[in-house]
Amino acid sequence: MIYNPFPMRVVSKREEAPGVRTLKIEFLKQEDHDFFKNHYRTGMFGLYGIYGEGESTFCVASPETRTDYIECTFRQSGRVTSTLADVDSGDIVTFRGPYGNRFPIEEFEGKNLLFIAGGIALPPTRSVIWSCLDQREKYRDVTIVYGARTVADLVYKHELEEWKQRGDVNLVLTVDPGGETPDWQDHVGFVPSVLEKVAPSPDNTVAVLCGPPIMIKFTLTALEKLGFSANNVYTTLENRMKCGVGKCGRCNVGSTYICKEGPVFTAEEVQAMPQHDL
Amino acid sequence: MTRILLKSRLDDCLGAWRTAGFSVLAPVKRNELTRFDEVQAASEIALDIVITERTIKEHFFLQTEPLIKYQISKKQIETEEMLPPERKRVFFGVRPCDAAGLDIDDPLFGWDYKDEYWFRRREGSVIVTIACSQADDFCMCTSVHLAPDSTKGSDLMLHPLRDGRGWQVVPHTDRGKALLEPVAPMLQEEVAETAPVPDVPVKFDLDKVSSWLSDPANFESNFWKEISQRCIGCGSCTYLCPTCHCFDIQDEGDTYNGIRRKNWDSCSFALFTMHTSGHNPRNTQSTRWRQRIMHKFNYYRGKFGVNSCSGCGRCTRQCPVDMGITETLHEISNLPR
Repeated sequence: MIYNPFPMRVVSKREEAPGVRTLKIEFLKQEDHDFFKNHYRTGMFGLYGIYGEGESTFCVASPETRTDYIECTFRQSGRVTSTLADVDSGDIVTFRGPYGNRFPIEEFEGKNLLFIAGGIALPPTRSVIWSCLDQREKYRDVTIVYGARTVADLVYKHELEEWKQRGDVNLVLTVDPGGETPDWQDHVGFVPSVLEKVAPSPDNTVAVLCGPPIMIKFTLTALEKLGFSANNVYTTLENRMKCGVGKCGRCNVGSTYICKEGPVFTAEEVQAMPQHDL
Repeated sequence: MTRILLKSRLDDCLGAWRTAGFSVLAPVKRNELTRFDEVQAASEIALDIVITERTIKEHFFLQTEPLIKYQISKKQIETEEMLPPERKRVFFGVRPCDAAGLDIDDPLFGWDYKDEYWFRRREGSVIVTIACSQADDFCMCTSVHLAPDSTKGSDLMLHPLRDGRGWQVVPHTDRGKALLEPVAPMLQEEVAETAPVPDVPVKFDLDKVSSWLSDPANFESNFWKEISQRCIGCGSCTYLCPTCHCFDIQDEGDTYNGIRRKNWDSCSFALFTMHTSGHNPRNTQSTRWRQRIMHKFNYYRGKFGVNSCSGCGRCTRQCPVDMGITETLHEISNLPR
């Protein structure tokens, strides 16, 4: 039955930033796990739930190259996420998915990759980053530009350190002015201006851009200035969802159902949507 | 010569269907409300009304539908899918617009992921329509290219006889033909004249509406604000609509025991699209009304090749502020281009 979620067991919980947590969950049933392994590709999303509270939609933050488990990262804000934030290892939660389309990472092969993320939007980007880094030889230069409001708000801090240490990733970190700590060594400034300063070459480069709408807007302008064309910039949209399978009628932007035709779109596709429905 | 069912044989007919294992649902007036409900005798059926206030949709897509019963204890979970029982049902006396509504919703519930709740009920049901012999000022089937005797979604159609004694019986599907088998002894062959269908005036030019809606420049038109000013966002039009299918999923119960349910929802409500962050893509009544019209007459047609409206007129007939789709589309047809 299409609305029946997979029961999942919580393996571990990690505090990423104030109010932001990552859950690592695993399948209770082999057939559910097999289904996930056969269908999940980076960029897809799921509905994470807890009986008695409901379901919430977010991306699968773990890459398609690591499917023994699912990781999801969320900000504690509503009824479902507040309850999910309180679970302990061994607790039962649910997952429905994977739904939607994907980042076409095979088409990225042989190209330079530029990842740009703001705040809590690193999780969807991180799924693509690891999916590519786990097959590092297929891609050329990898640049990650990640910004958050404050140093504390940066998520996946242990992985940022790991990316910084490896020689084959160019990691550019920034925090908003005023968000830095005394020992902060990296950039201070908003993502679009830091991006312009770093000025990655658009030649043979694909960009993956995730963030709040205002950041996306100004970053797209910066990318255009750098010479990127909108069909080489990929992003992921989110909207409130209940079914995830194109029936409940609320996630559309214009005629486009985010759950079925998205959530991954090129910037060119997003610009063609009615902007006031976003 | 045509096949005739006389009203005087209707009780025998209902009895034969029940004997064959069918429940019979027909238009009834109960508690001051006209709707489809189970009947035992022909005398319970309200055959003289133009159209029931509620649609037959509620018998296929329930206002509140239990999906999963859950029980959680000591880190163990037990769930039970609550699929509807397989039941054979005859819907007798359905108006052609309501039957068309079911047909319009089939692709939505079936694309890619199949909604078993809808299809299990659809598959067990036979739709017996009665061609309209009267219409009111709100009927608008002809405006959406249907008719008081259109057969879309109908398994078996009854055409009222001019002399009022009964109906001419015309099956349109195998399911409709099969439904005639148990009642064959109650039918008779004779030469009879059917009553004329009522004249339902065309209220808007659907082609003009389609072309105006498909122009991206009109998405931001001030028209949407003006036309929707009266809307109070009550959602009645969506609940009374034979094709509106939007829903919410909610849990009823606590952490240990309860039922997850699928409930009717409405694009008229502000919370419908509101993000947890507070951002709301459709944060005014005019953007929500635009969504409703665009969804029905542009997006749905783009996806499934059919408009999501069968012209029943309930959205206008029962609107508390006298608005509705008819007025909006009429105004769009008259806009200068």
